[in-house]
Amino acid sequence: MSCTLGEVKNRADFIIYWGGNPAECHPRHFTRYALTPKGKFIPRGRKDRTMVLVDIRETPSAKAADIFLQVRPGKDFEMLSILRALVKNQKVSASAVAETGLTLEQLTDLVSRMKAAKFGVLFFGMGLSMTRGKHMNSAAALTLAAEMNAFTKFVAMPMRGHGNVTGADVIMRYTTTYPFGINLSRGYPRFNPGEYSTIDLLVRGDTDATLVLGADPGATMPKPAIEHLRRTPTIVLDPKVTHTSRLARVHFTTAPAGISAPGTAYRMDEVPLPLRPALKPSYLTDEEVLKRIVAAVKAKPPWYPAARDGAQIA
Amino acid sequence: MIRITGGTVYDPKNGVNGVVRDVCLSEGKVVADVPAHARTIDARGMIVFPGGVDVHTHVAGAALNFARGLIPEQHRKARPVYHSPQCRAGIAGTTPTTFATGYVYAGMGWTTANEAAVPILSAKHTHEELRDTPIIDKCTCVLMANNEIILDLLENDEFERAKQVTAWQVWAAKAYGIKAVNPGGVAGWKWGKDCKGLAEVIPGYNKVTPRNVIQALARIADELALPHPVHLHCNNLGAPGNYTTTLETMKALEGNRAHMAHLQYHAYGGEDWFDMRSASVPIAEYFNAHPNLTCDAGAVLFGNTVTITADGPWQHLLYELTGKKWGNLDVENETGCGVVPYVYKEKNLVNAIQWAVGLELLLLITDPWRVCLTTDHPNGACFWRYPEILRLLMDREFRKEEIKKLPEKVLPRIVLPELDREYTLYEIAIITSAGPARTLGLEQKGHLGIGADADVAIYESRANPEEMFAHPRMVLKAGQVIVEEGEIRNVIDGNQFATKPNYDPAIEDFLRPLFQQQYTVQFDNYPVSEECVHGLNVHQCGSCLPKQ
Repeated sequence: MSCTLGEVKNRADFIIYWGGNPAECHPRHFTRYALTPKGKFIPRGRKDRTMVLVDIRETPSAKAADIFLQVRPGKDFEMLSILRALVKNQKVSASAVAETGLTLEQLTDLVSRMKAAKFGVLFFGMGLSMTRGKHMNSAAALTLAAEMNAFTKFVAMPMRGHGNVTGADVIMRYTTTYPFGINLSRGYPRFNPGEYSTIDLLVRGDTDATLVLGADPGATMPKPAIEHLRRTPTIVLDPKVTHTSRLARVHFTTAPAGISAPGTAYRMDEVPLPLRPALKPSYLTDEEVLKRIVAAVKAKPPWYPAARDGAQIA
Repeated sequence: MIRITGGTVYDPKNGVNGVVRDVCLSEGKVVADVPAHARTIDARGMIVFPGGVDVHTHVAGAALNFARGLIPEQHRKARPVYHSPQCRAGIAGTTPTTFATGYVYAGMGWTTANEAAVPILSAKHTHEELRDTPIIDKCTCVLMANNEIILDLLENDEFERAKQVTAWQVWAAKAYGIKAVNPGGVAGWKWGKDCKGLAEVIPGYNKVTPRNVIQALARIADELALPHPVHLHCNNLGAPGNYTTTLETMKALEGNRAHMAHLQYHAYGGEDWFDMRSASVPIAEYFNAHPNLTCDAGAVLFGNTVTITADGPWQHLLYELTGKKWGNLDVENETGCGVVPYVYKEKNLVNAIQWAVGLELLLLITDPWRVCLTTDHPNGACFWRYPEILRLLMDREFRKEEIKKLPEKVLPRIVLPELDREYTLYEIAIITSAGPARTLGLEQKGHLGIGADADVAIYESRANPEEMFAHPRMVLKAGQVIVEEGEIRNVIDGNQFATKPNYDPAIEDFLRPLFQQQYTVQFDNYPVSEECVHGLNVHQCGSCLPKQ
């Protein structure tokens, strides 16, 4: 249950940020969309909104919050489950509440504020989705928001970042039905995160070559994955020198999208925005490099005998 | 250049009913004759149809793509499309990938499809998907009935300006027609509310009602001379007893054209889920007497699917009914969208009634030109299951056998067992091709007269219509052979049709400041540029400049 950011701007009177630090990681989020702007039904802007921050430590975002709830590290799932129970007026045990590092009064106050809201929104960051519990945490957050709709309007949205990752997700879905973790080795898409996701493939050493596009796995992935990238041919398309480009066999310097290459970027709410380059490109675009690679691969004779004979796999 | 010779041709627009004659194609069009050296396709003993036209389907866009992400377990079971020299890899199934959508439609003999629900804000994305949907030609309807700029104008009785804004928005989205979904109800859903009756004031407003919105949009579509009338998903979808809302809606539309989308979902009697019954008879009676209306069936088939609609409040109800997954995506100032996976079960009373109502409407509506075959893909069933419906329509005995499988207590609540009508091939050619093309106002589609687009499906004549229509022997699109011997042999790009109504450019001065207040994108980033739409084919239509 989500919405585009304009809905938040125009309607949200109750905002929760959970496991994220927008003040530093999404610096325009407060001012453009969620907190300070005046909206169609939020005439006084910040004064008409209540903001709650849930995190394991008091980040700079806490300064912007009306209420800061410091959850004990690794206890997000427990806290979400307790909130779901409280929303439905179910009993919760005192020991379960104590584990979260918060008091029952704090949690019941949060629930009553959520229910009293006209339009509530829960933004959740990697502090929720990528810590202990991982996708179980995301599922609990989404379910909480879904169940809140029995009482009032409530939506949830992940705080995505890292450039156009949303765009990659969108395009993978319409070409393969799956967002990530896709294996095409059988000639059609299969999906199994944990088996076909990049880190798993690299750590197991399943791949014999890697094409890296608009990402820097050499900076963030576990050491065995990086070692495998170094060991096997890695090709990087990137406007700048990165950790990955340094270990790659080939680095194509490409035109940066939005600066000297056109294209489309997807906002975290999947709204597509056209990129209009301000400068003339001095390098080829990613698209052009990929097209030339594809053409070169197509020009090579197929290695498998069936295709050489003109027979069809399907 | 191709000559299709010896086939039995069904071309209802030109009154050709099962006549053995040649069809000649050249440069993508049907022509009177081709030289002797042209390729000849021997179609003796075969049935020749104009390519199918789908008046209402959901094959591209943010909502469908959201649904794709929500149901990996269904994709796992779906039929894969293998990568081949002709085809890109993909998945067919409930929500086919873009490339698979083109292959599967063409593989069934359908060559044009109307994506029936596009928000302006994400229209750019929809066009990106349609660009990657090969072979078939496409057009789109843009969601207007909960657009707050329009609602605000109607609240203030500014009809003329609302018309200007609509015209601007249709072109901004590079859309073909206007879609209205649960007018006012989706706007209400932004506050967690709905709007079920035509006279209810829309939540958040003081005066404007769904009736005002429906009448205004129907009038706007007519005054702008759009080729396709307002494409209407009525209020109160899916609810027992909703046929009264539908009748009221049709009455409100008197004097204007309108297309009633997926009418099956709007033709239920009874008061609650326990005494729900078919109300196809009163709906069909009214519809038959009012030639200003067209409709599509929105038929249901039993099985697994996913429901996708801009009707947010209905999807929340369906989530509460099923307890399954639920996705919701509201679009600022414009519309909503809900996604709920669903299984239609033969033994479920409500589902059995829905199945019957879809067929009843197709059989009770007397003029086949005004009822199109759809399943509201993927809501009622996937589009690739159309041949199953064709068999149910053409074979009374088979239909009777299928009715026997329903729970007995359904029988007094439906009229299907009493209907003996069987569709002829001529009528099938109307509801699958000629009729929807006329309803959409696509003059070059749905027929095989000289000058028509050379989109042709050649079927083997078989006793079982399901087998016959599921696997055409050959399909030609734009004069090129696409399917041969049941295989995709050649993949070409399709075109996109858009409409450009005339509007006063000064309307941008009105819209621009509103944008800064209400939207989170820049005004200049909002319209889809012409370069973004692949194979754009623009229909210029009547003037809507202010009267002097």
